[in-house]
Amino acid sequence: IAEHVGKAAANIAAGAVVCVESEIRGDVTIGPRTVVHPKARIIAEAGPIIIGEGNLIEEQALIINSYPENIMPDTEGVEPKTMTIGINNVFEVGCVSQALKIGDNNVIESKADLGKNVILTSGCIVGACCQVNTCEVIPENTVIYGSNCMRRVQTERPQPQTLQLDFLMKILPNYHHMKKTVKGTSTPVRN
Amino acid sequence: MASLLQPDRVLYLVHGEKKIRSPLSTLYFCRYCSELRSLECVSHEVDSHYCPSCLENMPSAEAKLKKNRCANCFDCPCCMHTLSTRATNIPAPLPDDPSKTTMKKAYYLACGFCRWTSRDVGMADKSVASGGWQEPDNPHTQRINKLIEYYQQLAQREKLERDRKKLARRRPYMPLAFSQHTIHVVEKYGLGTRLQRQRPGAPITSLAGLSLKEGEDQKEINIEPAQALDEVEPLPEDCYTRPINLPEVTSLRQRLLQPDFQPAGASQLHPKHKHLLIKRSLRCRKCEHNLSKPEFNPTSIKFKIQLVAVSYIPEVRIMSIPNLRFQKECQVLLTLTNPVENITHVTLVGCEEGDPEDINSTAKVMVPTKELVLAGKDAAADYDELAEPQDFQDDPDVVAFRKSNKIGFFIKVVPQREEDGDVTVSFKIRHDFRNLAAPIRPSEEGDAPTEAIWLTHHVELSLGPIIA
Repeated sequence: IAEHVGKAAANIAAGAVVCVESEIRGDVTIGPRTVVHPKARIIAEAGPIIIGEGNLIEEQALIINSYPENIMPDTEGVEPKTMTIGINNVFEVGCVSQALKIGDNNVIESKADLGKNVILTSGCIVGACCQVNTCEVIPENTVIYGSNCMRRVQTERPQPQTLQLDFLMKILPNYHHMKKTVKGTSTPVRN
Repeated sequence: MASLLQPDRVLYLVHGEKKIRSPLSTLYFCRYCSELRSLECVSHEVDSHYCPSCLENMPSAEAKLKKNRCANCFDCPCCMHTLSTRATNIPAPLPDDPSKTTMKKAYYLACGFCRWTSRDVGMADKSVASGGWQEPDNPHTQRINKLIEYYQQLAQREKLERDRKKLARRRPYMPLAFSQHTIHVVEKYGLGTRLQRQRPGAPITSLAGLSLKEGEDQKEINIEPAQALDEVEPLPEDCYTRPINLPEVTSLRQRLLQPDFQPAGASQLHPKHKHLLIKRSLRCRKCEHNLSKPEFNPTSIKFKIQLVAVSYIPEVRIMSIPNLRFQKECQVLLTLTNPVENITHVTLVGCEEGDPEDINSTAKVMVPTKELVLAGKDAAADYDELAEPQDFQDDPDVVAFRKSNKIGFFIKVVPQREEDGDVTVSFKIRHDFRNLAAPIRPSEEGDAPTEAIWLTHHVELSLGPIIA
């Protein structure tokens, strides 16, 4: 794992649509059918980030694997922790996620803030502007909403955004340059 | 410095039943009485009912029938947001040919804020977009209706008895319905008495719907008294040991918004119809003129009649405050804005010793003694570049600047108390007011049609804490 530290190339699978204006730093793996909008930021500082397939990461979203607060970046002997993100998640505009483990079919709404110690299972919805930085595992199908971060459990998980993903994968290449994927060539640049 | 513009820093005193001090932006001005009015010294009347989400107007009688709820819109029982109707395609067998399936639309209610759906409480999807949703019936409705009828009849009977007693003593020409005491008795089980309080002599027309009409056969309504039970349902055995499923427990607010059922579990929270809002009109209690009358259309925010104080009374605002020191003279910059189109003359007078209105001031204030002249508000001033600036001889010690209908002037403040808390000063502002509402009498001598009257208002300013 030590050899991955310092590797700067992002590992983008074929079929993923990642705009060139997005900032991807560090060891990041992005699965197929994932869409990363311009101005999204995925920063793998303290360890690699693995993003599954079918995810939607919107503008100004920040997914960051950062160092814990009391540890300096240069200390020796710190194990880099991998941040795993599952499939069919939606990171809406302006959200910040530092959670190390995110399951499937979650929706993190605009300007939500997830701390380092939270673990999202599946089907969770973190409402707009909700800050969740408790040290816990959020049970499945939980909805966190409101200014006081009230919680309730819903009976069904949120639907995967297949329609939106299909639409974006067709339209975004018309207006933005894409980052190169691993297998196959990059999408042709249109004038 | 935006905090200096906050409305509750400058308070105007309203003379009414209660002496109320509030910012000018919340006050109304009755131009027939030529006095300031606050919300507490006007009578509020309901103008119209409307639904806040579909903006549908509803006549008052219909609103009363539907218990002030909209027929089409629902509230989320979880977060009280408005529910929206969503559609899904479900495969359904064709009525002619059961083996083939076609996509049919099914509708369900969903909340955009907390993601509650009607499927969470087990309500089946409906095939029509609106009108398919029913609120669950209250099992006690019949008993409640019977009780209401019985008590209305009782009140009517009591009213007749009192009138009979009064009739024996009263002169014959006084009409039966106008007795003051009986109003309260009939209204005991009907609308509140507040409606009647403001109009001591007006006929009571709202009672007609509640009480039985005169001459109708009064049916004897008998109700069974409520039975007290000896045995109460026992608590479940695992009441103390069962772990609580917290997401399933309803909050007090969710529970009390459904007073019929007050469910303890979240799986029994059904959506309720949305509550209607009202548009209200305000009326001066002394002269019975309307001070504020909104438009009938729910989508319109304009007013038919809008007699707000800021469009008649010059407004004082704080512009800048220096460091206030105990018993040292400081100069505070205030602005005075003229809301009317003609020139206004304003005189400021400090409060005298022992003024009964001056209860809050903690500092001595020296106001400019000269009369301040304010130019009229010219709506076209921004566009008219060739306008000559009017020449007012301003004393530079008193007037700091002048800009169209606004002037800035200095007052001197000497804080008298060294304690914590804001330095408060008060003074009286006297200005001339031309009443354009009064009917123009045919002038016999060719006088100016509008005469100015002088109005005095008591103003209190909160200047902030003393900085040592």
